[in-house]
Amino acid sequence: MASIPSQAKSKQLRACLLCSIVQHPMDFRKNGCPNCEELMQMKGSPDRIGVCTTTYFDGIIAVIDPESSWVARWQRTSKYVRGMYAARVKGRIPEDVEAELESRGIKYRPRDQTDQD
Amino acid sequence: MSGVEDDYFMQQVDSEPFDPDVDDNEEDQPEQQPRKAVPVAHFDDEEDEEGDVNDEEEEEDDEEDDDDDDDGTGRERERKRAKHRHKRPAVNRFLDVEAEVDEDEDEDEDEEEYGRDEFIADAGIEGDEDDVNRRAAVNARLDRRERELDDQDLAKIAQNLHERYGRAAVRYTGDMNEVPQRLLMPSVHDANLWQVRVKPGRERDIVFSLMRKAIDLEYTAQPLQVLSAFQRDSLPGMIYVESRSSQQVNQACKGLVGIYPSRGITLVPIEEMASLLQIKKQDLTVTPGSWVRIKRGKYQGDLAQVMDITENGEDVGLKFIPRIDLNPKDEASLDGRKRKKIGTGPTTMRPPQRFFNYEEVVKVYGRKQVSKRNQVYVFQNDTYKDGFIEKDFKLSALVLENVNPTLDEITRFTRGQDGAENENPVDLSIIAEASRKAAISVLQPGDHVEVFEGEQAGVHGVVDSINQEVVTITAVGVDIDGQKIDLPARSVRKRFKPGDHVKVMAGQNADETGLVVSVSDNVVTFLSDMSMQEVSVFSKDLREAAEVGSGTNIVGNYELHDLVQLDLQTVGVIFKTERDSFRVLDQNGQVRLVQPHQISMRRNSDRAIATDSEGHEIRTNDNVKEVDGEARKGRVLHTYQSFFAFLHNRDIAENGGVFVTRARSLASLAPKGTVIKHNGADLSKMNPALAGGAQTGGMVGSGTMGRGPRDRLIGVTVAVVKGAHKGYVGAVKDTNGPIARVELHTGNKVITIEKEKLRRRNNDGSLEPLEGGNFGMGPPRSFNNNGGHNNNRTSNPYQQGGQAGGRTPGWGRTPNPYAGGEGRTPGWNQSSRTPNPFGDGGKTPAWNASSRTPNPYQDSGKTPAWNASSRTPNPYTSGDAGGSAWGSATPKPNGWGGATPRPAGWGGATPRPTGWGGATPKPTGWGGATPKPASWGGQSPARPVGESSSWGVSDPSSTWNSTPAAAATPGYIAAQTPSTGYIPARTPADIMFNDHIMSAPTPAPGILPSEDDSNSWLQDSNNHNPNSWLQDHNIRNKHVIMEISNTRLSGWRGGNLEQKQGYILSSMITGNDATAQFCPLDSDLGEGPITVPLSYLAPVFPQHRDERAIIFDGPYRGEEVVLRVRDDDDDVWTVGKYQDALSPTVTCAAEKMVKLHV
Repeated sequence: MASIPSQAKSKQLRACLLCSIVQHPMDFRKNGCPNCEELMQMKGSPDRIGVCTTTYFDGIIAVIDPESSWVARWQRTSKYVRGMYAARVKGRIPEDVEAELESRGIKYRPRDQTDQD
Repeated sequence: MSGVEDDYFMQQVDSEPFDPDVDDNEEDQPEQQPRKAVPVAHFDDEEDEEGDVNDEEEEEDDEEDDDDDDDGTGRERERKRAKHRHKRPAVNRFLDVEAEVDEDEDEDEDEEEYGRDEFIADAGIEGDEDDVNRRAAVNARLDRRERELDDQDLAKIAQNLHERYGRAAVRYTGDMNEVPQRLLMPSVHDANLWQVRVKPGRERDIVFSLMRKAIDLEYTAQPLQVLSAFQRDSLPGMIYVESRSSQQVNQACKGLVGIYPSRGITLVPIEEMASLLQIKKQDLTVTPGSWVRIKRGKYQGDLAQVMDITENGEDVGLKFIPRIDLNPKDEASLDGRKRKKIGTGPTTMRPPQRFFNYEEVVKVYGRKQVSKRNQVYVFQNDTYKDGFIEKDFKLSALVLENVNPTLDEITRFTRGQDGAENENPVDLSIIAEASRKAAISVLQPGDHVEVFEGEQAGVHGVVDSINQEVVTITAVGVDIDGQKIDLPARSVRKRFKPGDHVKVMAGQNADETGLVVSVSDNVVTFLSDMSMQEVSVFSKDLREAAEVGSGTNIVGNYELHDLVQLDLQTVGVIFKTERDSFRVLDQNGQVRLVQPHQISMRRNSDRAIATDSEGHEIRTNDNVKEVDGEARKGRVLHTYQSFFAFLHNRDIAENGGVFVTRARSLASLAPKGTVIKHNGADLSKMNPALAGGAQTGGMVGSGTMGRGPRDRLIGVTVAVVKGAHKGYVGAVKDTNGPIARVELHTGNKVITIEKEKLRRRNNDGSLEPLEGGNFGMGPPRSFNNNGGHNNNRTSNPYQQGGQAGGRTPGWGRTPNPYAGGEGRTPGWNQSSRTPNPFGDGGKTPAWNASSRTPNPYQDSGKTPAWNASSRTPNPYTSGDAGGSAWGSATPKPNGWGGATPRPAGWGGATPRPTGWGGATPKPTGWGGATPKPASWGGQSPARPVGESSSWGVSDPSSTWNSTPAAAATPGYIAAQTPSTGYIPARTPADIMFNDHIMSAPTPAPGILPSEDDSNSWLQDSNNHNPNSWLQDHNIRNKHVIMEISNTRLSGWRGGNLEQKQGYILSSMITGNDATAQFCPLDSDLGEGPITVPLSYLAPVFPQHRDERAIIFDGPYRGEEVVLRVRDDDDDVWTVGKYQDALSPTVTCAAEKMVKLHV
């Protein structure tokens, strides 16, 4: 369960480049990314938050029941915690994370909907 | 939960997670480093002026919170920390020494020493007690831990570990990522998506609200049955809720503000579900060097160049031309504290774009405000370099699409601070790059292109076909001629060479055509067909075209060279039309670029009049030139407020040949033939002070504008005689050609009807043709009824005379003086009914007796005499003898008018006729009994009245002609009209000079012909008459002495008068009849003049010295001379001018002179 930002309108809301969860930067700093902190290492590190999340996203999805929601499945967030996700996130994860994913044999899918297959 | 997290955090940092002591100690290190770093960071952040400060502060607080959380309670921790330094040595037995040293390395030397001191001291003296306590606590903890570990089996430990570390790792096994997207398409087993209408702008809020609501109700009896909800920025006013049924959606929406379930909860078809999430804004990428525009703020719309982009692509470093307010309004802005309030306010004017200039800024804001770091100036927290401002912007604050930088803007950029060309000018190809995609789309088969990059660079050819981004060209060249090459479209560009005729396809010069004069890379310069100016455009925007540029001159409702009102004070003339805007030259000479909507109206200056430097009128389309300044010539397009004149001259390249100047400094190129009519012209319009006084822009002369001559029919009462309205009576409101609008008296109705169906309705109810020439005054009708004058219809001065007669009693109404005066001429009585006494007078026997020639006056109906005299400019000359003079003396009536030196006396109109009529004291004077010149009113001394013969005799005819007007005109007017009595009423002079309106329509032949004209006519028609010289205007009034001759042969008067000498009073030549009034010198014959045909008269030549004579032949014809010396030859005299002894003398044959009666 991710923390739900209190202000929907806030321009500061940031979306994780990897899992697309939307949080206030304070939450990122405090708790890191609830889904991919292991890779992103954002907790307590504003710099990491800066490079691993972005304010440039479009569309907000309230994922209430990730396991059974088709929307979550389509967004590939059904294994993630409940929370607010962005429909589309602009940008790519930092190279080190990308390299780490690669080393683990995980396919990286950018969230900007550039490659649909 | 936080406990777990904390542990996790500590463990992550800690190398030995299970050692609590180490944990505690080591904790300081990560703690202290951020503490040192943070203030520095904060300082920087604050400098940034952005709202990030708050953020940072929050984060700092947050961090402290973290710290607190980490340590349990802050106070305890502080204590620990305070103690720590002192205690550290005490616990050193549990630490390895390296760790201690490591830490010391980070400490200051002092501290190290201090620490050492402590270390030494500690070891021995202090801290034993504490040490023991501490050790005990640690031991207790260790023991407890060991016990716990013992209690747990290994499996559990493993699970624990897994739980701690495994979470993130598990998430990223990537199993989800491997599934292709298409396999994720929704199936019938999935929940549906429902579209819900919401208040626009609140979509995101509502999605958040739904989320919170779902969490709140999660463990209640009625949890939300909603799986998800989402919103897309590109779909305003709606959200999508994933749910099994619309009922559940309804339930979820209940109670949320901004949702409109009533407007329908619509099911999204399965096949559309995915696309809702696939909506993709066009990808906008910025690369360093590309152009963007700034969306908001002081620099809204300004072009900027991207310098760098942050890694995540959110912030973009831009470089653009600053707008520094060099005239700050209030002092407050100078100290820089309230600067946020200025500059961006909507009311303040935006400062113009201007490169940063250190000196200028320092002058205004003071030296303190500007600091210099390296090569960069910092002013009001902005960085300026090379005149440009360099500033970071959020990507969302920039316009990335359709930037379309103009060449103007680009060149401004390339120009350096000092206006000089930069060393490394901006590469125009960047712009081209930006619009590459567009460039591809403008390629057409047949275009000449060249390859400018890649392996084939330099090759050029003709586009053969285009397939997506691949262009096939047929190469033109030496070795590969004719080969077809496939190329990426972006690598080719259109190719033009000087001399090509091109047309612009896009941009602000769209539709211009011209001849290419130069090509450099992708910028083509051509000479416009229209403006004859050089225009530079990108080759991508060009196309070869044969047609000569139309380039429409009309945009919206406005056209080239229209005078348009821009605002209350400003007008201008459009001198160039662009695709959707105009270039306008206003009256102050400023060039403005205006959109059609900025024009409030078009002004019509067709009727505006201004005055030029000479006081002449200037109207539109006059050709004028400046009298001062540059002496430019031009055609007047418009005048404004009588002061400004907009001229156009094709030869002037600037502003399309349009320029503005003051009307007063202009002079007409072609002097105008029209003389200003002083009586007709409205002088006020010529007075610029008056005209220009209308500051509100009232049209000059508007008061007199558009008012043509008022239709005379307007207001006339008419009756309808045909058609549906037959019998109706109304008043004419308006006429238009053959149509009239008539307001009926009944029914208050206005009808439109042909004029031919209308008749004028007189007061007495009688009808007459509508345009029957009368002016509705009525009285002239009596004239018309007079048979002889019916031909005098409309616009005849007699009619007007009749009109005047309305004021002066007409002849018919006043007692005819002749009738009353002369009983012996019965004709006079008849004339009492007719205004033409002369016509009737022709019936008097005297007439018949006095002349053998057909007496024109006999026929009163035709009044040929009048006609005749109408052609005879000088009827006076025919006056010859007394009694007969009534006939031949037709001019007499004229004489009354004409000869009167005081026409006003006659013109008094009313008194005169009565003077003539009843008041004449001596009506009998007409009878010839008493010569009473005074009885004629004494007004005309030239008209001694006595016996009929006295008319001629006593007439000092020289005075008759003393007023040439009298001599010339009255004859005409009188000649035509029987109602001469009226005409004199208005003096001939009046008629001639003032009342030309009356005379203008006179159908009389030869309107007011000059004497010379008429004389020539006379002479022409009387060439056969040897005495025609008598008609010479210099002679005819002289009393030349003639002798009657040749009568014996013809038997005229029985030849009794043969050889009688007399002087000629007047002569008259009419048609075949030429007579003269002959006053015999021999008193035997009586004093009255005798009418003698000219053919019986021969001049009497002067014979003696000092005799007066008049030359009637030769070059000196008409000269009145005195015989001075007789030449040897008898017939030749040296003569000198009369009464001018000094005048040069000439010689003249005696037979060319005629003796004058003195």
